[in-house]
Amino acid sequence: MTRKYELVYVVSPEASDDQVTDLHNQVEAIVQRIGGSIEKTENWGRRRLAYEIGRHKEGTYVLEVLHGTGELMKEIDRRLKVTDLIIRHLVVRVDETQAVIERTKARRTATSQRRRVARGLPADRQPGEGQRGDADDDRDDRFDMGNERGMDR
Amino acid sequence: MNGRKSFGAKKGGRAGAGGAGAQGKDGQRRPMFRRRKVCKFCSDKIDDINYKDTKLLLPFVPERAKILPRRISGTCALHQRKLRVALMRARQLALIPYTAE
Repeated sequence: MTRKYELVYVVSPEASDDQVTDLHNQVEAIVQRIGGSIEKTENWGRRRLAYEIGRHKEGTYVLEVLHGTGELMKEIDRRLKVTDLIIRHLVVRVDETQAVIERTKARRTATSQRRRVARGLPADRQPGEGQRGDADDDRDDRFDMGNERGMDR
Repeated sequence: MNGRKSFGAKKGGRAGAGGAGAQGKDGQRRPMFRRRKVCKFCSDKIDDINYKDTKLLLPFVPERAKILPRRISGTCALHQRKLRVALMRARQLALIPYTAE
């Protein structure tokens, strides 16, 4: 049963670029050994951490999208835990949530197409159509007097 | 950073008004008009509340870095649940703080 996972790990800021690619190769090696595939790899580069993790204030973020079994992720998780250079990692299973997202999207376009056809319009939105003018602002805040701090925006 | 702050102030003011409105139900004070709160994710049709999307998540963690409650943000139950999961994942990766320092 192969599933889709997302793996994000934060590499210590002391690590060089070579060490970061080396870690990626290690992950790749595990994936190949146990069986699975890497869909894509994204390096977000060095980012400030929202809080200190063991006196580190920055970290290099790497995202990997993987296909594989639970055993594969278990092994990757174990390896990342014992790797000192990696200060934080997260494994998330994404196939199910992505399927749900696609279903809701498909359902929404289907309903809108059905309604548009019922109104005698072409099924898909035409360019430039349905843009909101100032007149039909249903989020009108003219009566929003409950805001004691005034209209600070 | 700036966007986050103004959001907090705006919503905070509204929350105060909400409390006052609930007390003065028979309206002895001036009548309170409040905009009906709508779920941001429903109205903007955001299906995917992703932990990687800090720009989307940050307005929901005002100054103290606590998750903004539904009663203030107006998020619907379904999306608040998804939001919570996304925020907790983002926190684990230090994309979003657990607390304000």
